[in-house]
Amino acid sequence: MKYALYTGCVAKGAGKELYTATFLVAEKLGIELVEMTDAACCGAGVIHEGNPFLADVVNARTFASAEEQGLDIMTICGTCQGVLVKTLKKLTSDDAYKKKVNAELAEIKKEFKGTVKVKGLTEIILQDYGLDKLKEKVVNPLKGVKSAPFYGCYTLRPSENSYLENPDNPDELEKLIKALGAEPVDYPERLACCGFPILMMNKKNSLTMGGNAINGAKNAGADCLVTPCPLCFLSFDSYQFEMEKYTSGNFGLPVLHTPQLIGLALGIDSKHMRMNTHITTVESLLEKTTS
Amino acid sequence: MIKHDIVIIGAGLAGMRAALEACENHDVAIVTKIYPTRSHSGAAQGGVAAALANLAEDDSPDFHMFDTVKGSDFLGDQDAIEIMVNDAPHVIREMEHFGCVFSRDEKGRIAQRAFGGHSKPRSCYAADRTGHALLHSLYEQILKVSKKLTIYSEYYLRDLVINDFTCNGAIIQDIKTGKIEVLNSKAVLMATGGYGRAFQITSNAFACSGDGLIAAMNNGVPLMDMEFVQFHPTGLYGQGILVSEAARGEGGYLVNGKGERFMETYASKMMELAPRDIVSRSEQTEINEGRGIDGKDFVHLDMRHLGREKILEKLPQVRQLGIDFIGVDMIDAPIPIQPTAHYSMGGIPCDVHGQVIRDKDSSPVRGLFAAGECACVSVHGANRLGTNSLLEAVVFGKRAGASLNEFALNTNRVEISDENHALERTNKLTKELREMNGKESINVVRNEMKNSMTNDCGVYRNPEKMGRCLNKIKDLQKRFKDCSLGDKGSLFNTDFFEAIELKNMLDFSEIILVGAIERKESRGGHARTDYEKRDDVNWLKHTLATKSADGEIKLDYKPVSITKHQPEERKY
Amino acid sequence: MKTVVVTIDRFDQENQRGSYQQDFTIEIPNGLTVLDCLNKIKWEQDHTLTYRMSCRSAICGSCAFRINGKSKLGCKTQADDVITNGKLRIGPIGNTDIIKDLVVDLEPFWYKLKKVKPWLFANKPKDTTKEFYQSSEGYHKIEDASTCILCACCISECNSLKVDKNYVGPAALAKAQRFIDDSRDKNFVQRTREISEPTKVWDCTHCGECSERCPTDAKPLSRIEEIRERVVNAGVHNNGGARHLLSFFKSVGSSGTLDERKIPIESVGIGNLHANLGEIMPVGLKMLSHGKAPSMIHHNVDKVGEVRKIFKKLNKL
Ligand SMILES: Cc1cc2nc3c(=O)[nH]c(=O)nc-3n(C[C@H](O)[C@H](O)[C@H](O)COP(=O)(O)OP(=O)(O)OC[C@H]3O[C@@H](n4cnc5c(N)ncnc54)[C@H](O)[C@@H]3O)c2cc1C
Ligand code: SF4
Ligand code: SF4
Ligand code: FES
Repeated sequence: MKYALYTGCVAKGAGKELYTATFLVAEKLGIELVEMTDAACCGAGVIHEGNPFLADVVNARTFASAEEQGLDIMTICGTCQGVLVKTLKKLTSDDAYKKKVNAELAEIKKEFKGTVKVKGLTEIILQDYGLDKLKEKVVNPLKGVKSAPFYGCYTLRPSENSYLENPDNPDELEKLIKALGAEPVDYPERLACCGFPILMMNKKNSLTMGGNAINGAKNAGADCLVTPCPLCFLSFDSYQFEMEKYTSGNFGLPVLHTPQLIGLALGIDSKHMRMNTHITTVESLLEKTTS
Repeated sequence: MIKHDIVIIGAGLAGMRAALEACENHDVAIVTKIYPTRSHSGAAQGGVAAALANLAEDDSPDFHMFDTVKGSDFLGDQDAIEIMVNDAPHVIREMEHFGCVFSRDEKGRIAQRAFGGHSKPRSCYAADRTGHALLHSLYEQILKVSKKLTIYSEYYLRDLVINDFTCNGAIIQDIKTGKIEVLNSKAVLMATGGYGRAFQITSNAFACSGDGLIAAMNNGVPLMDMEFVQFHPTGLYGQGILVSEAARGEGGYLVNGKGERFMETYASKMMELAPRDIVSRSEQTEINEGRGIDGKDFVHLDMRHLGREKILEKLPQVRQLGIDFIGVDMIDAPIPIQPTAHYSMGGIPCDVHGQVIRDKDSSPVRGLFAAGECACVSVHGANRLGTNSLLEAVVFGKRAGASLNEFALNTNRVEISDENHALERTNKLTKELREMNGKESINVVRNEMKNSMTNDCGVYRNPEKMGRCLNKIKDLQKRFKDCSLGDKGSLFNTDFFEAIELKNMLDFSEIILVGAIERKESRGGHARTDYEKRDDVNWLKHTLATKSADGEIKLDYKPVSITKHQPEERKY
Repeated sequence: MKTVVVTIDRFDQENQRGSYQQDFTIEIPNGLTVLDCLNKIKWEQDHTLTYRMSCRSAICGSCAFRINGKSKLGCKTQADDVITNGKLRIGPIGNTDIIKDLVVDLEPFWYKLKKVKPWLFANKPKDTTKEFYQSSEGYHKIEDASTCILCACCISECNSLKVDKNYVGPAALAKAQRFIDDSRDKNFVQRTREISEPTKVWDCTHCGECSERCPTDAKPLSRIEEIRERVVNAGVHNNGGARHLLSFFKSVGSSGTLDERKIPIESVGIGNLHANLGEIMPVGLKMLSHGKAPSMIHHNVDKVGEVRKIFKKLNKL
């Protein structure tokens, strides 16, 4: 298995631990990754809101790059995944539009052919790699670890772009968590929004959303929250200490990127995955996973 | 008691258009049992007629008039029709000015399409949601002037205050709380919509229960031409949910069990686009003679030859209805359809100003006005042409609004001196209903009524069936009293209001039948197997039915206004 | 015929029963809608069950319920599509106060709709002898929004509304787009300003629930995206949302990637920085102390010239 890795901005910036964990996990699983060092930001839906055509051309350039390498794209960010799939669909379902976009790409001597696929890491593990195979690689089953899966909006909606079998009531992350030996917990905010998109505009609303989710997970007895989207992660990890200002309840919940949880079960050292750099301490979780 | 200058009952196209016209100078109240945008006008799909001549350059109001008169089987009042067709282009452009989102032709003008019974393509449309587009623009305009209006949403009209043929108020009930209020006004406009809900197979909303008609009738106002109910040829099989005539306007075929386009036999020139009475009768004949699909009681509407693109552009909502309600996508398969009770030609008699009249000499009921489907002006006569009723609602809604304005300017409010007297009937019925504790079920009575009306008072009528049906209705009226009310609460008691609606439906069903049994001819929506021909010598007249205090129904007749077009045989 | 157990989330304030759940067992043939199921229960088993309905053909917008936890129109939903293992759950829509059973208080919904001034300010005097032309493209720009039936399905699961009752919500915003983009309206400039105010277009968190639940083509999130495009391109930049967007453009347009050092500062607005330093500082400091702060130098993606070229040609902001 070999993919062109689309890291997204966060994994190269404020969330370097995701980048590190991804390579460590991929290595353990025997998935070969070629980092797309020339790929631009997907726009996170924001560029699209200022100029949809521009956003589509930039993303088409990314697709063309992967096509040149002859590889499908692997994303490690729920938001990038959602944005790229949406663009891909638009381009492949409308020939005239594709032509228009390609006319722009021609100026930088690129062409989008429409052969590339875009898949997320979790999706690849679930669908292509297989949970049975993953189970075989688990050396440190996360017994007794209660994990709250947080799907993230872009993984769920629009449902027609989602890889999930039933985006209104999915169980894919739960299955993954179980395969790692841990126990998924159910809580009301499992499919809600983390609040990140409006963090810069309306901090109160944003952190109330995040706070509700942390509370919900804590109240359901979670030892940690795990998410395939690094923006959700940023919200929950970096801002958790501030959420207390806006919502009352239980805080101090360790937050993990999906590959980190997988990494722990595969026996990768938490420090190697830079879990010590998380803003919300993961000590309580690590006590459980190493005992 | 709450005072307003003008009270408008109903927030469909007719009610809101009138309110807009009248609110400039007066304190206007709109009362509606469902939120305004839920009114059944929103369900209209196909279009609204106006001779804009965008698609057929030689179209004119004169052609529109002739088509309407002919479509009405010559029972339409020609003075009213003439006003409607002349006003049509103006009110439609006015709606455009109000922001109505019309589909457009390549020049940016309002798009038009063909429709049954119209000799020119003059149906102005907004894809297949024309009523929705019109209703929402009017609601938007109402919001714009909302400071001048009071909207009583989810309030139910219980009664009118009429003494000596002068109306000065209405009794309404807050559905949310059950509280009954007396509204005292200078004038009241009835705009309560149609009465199709008494039939099992119907395209009408649950709200179309003829409440306004019965409130008027209980106060001595006659109902006109109630026997004329339009059966639309293309109701989704089993439900009656409408497949717009736009489907045929865009070129759909009607096909029988033998695979034939059977309209060839009945209207070789206009084929599927003959007026509805003719197409429905033809369809029913096919079914009755065993040529339904697989011999069953439906035929097919075939759209497949139009192709995916045209269907998606012109009929997206209709296509979706087929998918949602019977699981058939018209792009791939023909749709099973049957005639469905669709439009109420009859209603509260009024003149071209919306002034309600009480007898054949057109004596007025002072302060009472009517517009829209609940009114009978009559522009549709025995059969309404598709797209003419949205038009009627807007044209006569506007005219009624202007009349209300005039009237209220020149009239002082007559105080309701005896509130208890005004509330008498309402309180009595409320008490009776709340105490109903019999062994009959409202649901069973309602189902029996609907089945009976569809089976015995449908497209084809004969004396035996109608007699049987009338007996049935009378029996059900008795059994209704022996029903029990399951919900005794006050808050949002829909059980209670459903009971009132059932009572209303039983009452107007009786009137439909009495009028139909008496009318010994076939004309428009009223087709008898024992009198197959139209009889202009004896029956070129409107039926006026009044209910006396002891419940007796009396019939009288009013002449038809014939100005330009003498009755002739209809050929399509 | 099959047997279905319908669990209904009920609410009764009149008899002080409050919220409760009740199971009803019904026998249904194929082809019934969820609304038909409710009618069956009301008419044959419990007359007190209360809900709104009218057209039963998905056009009046009365029958929005939560069906298996998500808002849908009862009359547009085939029971067979939502029954699992013989079970079906129906409740009132979310983000509203309940009046009785499935009937919710919609007054805030209508009130908020009015807040976006959903009526045409015609840019021509009224003259009913002439048509008010609009091109086909002009029509298509507002067509989707105009299909809204005001059913309130979209507000039920809205994440922003859940944390902020003052947020105008998706339906009102969809309606706003319909007028912002109407070629016949003369208030474009004023509308773009008003819609950029707090509680409006920039308070949407982009969760996608509204479009997911919307039974028509109105799809509010798409309309919200269109409004944002209009307002930033119309130069309404005096708010966090627009500044955030511009900051994105600047960063990606120059380096191909996000400059996380600048986004927060630019979003708050340089002019407002002093006042809002407290907003940004705590997290920044924490990040620093955890070795998480972005590197001092912002790196460009490889072949950044290509990205710059695309931006140079297409970016209008
Ligand atoms: C499915 C369908 C499709 C149609 N398509 C077309 C078409 O394409 N073209 C066309 O011209 N016509 C069409 N028609 C007919 C047309 O839609 C109606 O005749 C017209 O809209 C009626 O408008 P209205 O204002 O009179 O009544 P409605 O829109 O029905 O409004 C009635 C109002 O009265 C209120 N009301 C009723 N009873 C009470 C009460 N007791 N208390 C308080 N308020 C009450 C209701 O709340 C509502 O606001 C169609 C009809 C149907 C059923
Ligand atoms: S996308 Fe925006 S408006 Fe729509 S549900 Fe989410 S927060 Fe609400
Ligand atoms: S936007 Fe969609 S879901 Fe919201 S009210 Fe309109 S039609 Fe209903
Ligand atoms: S009853 Fe009208 S939308 Fe469902």
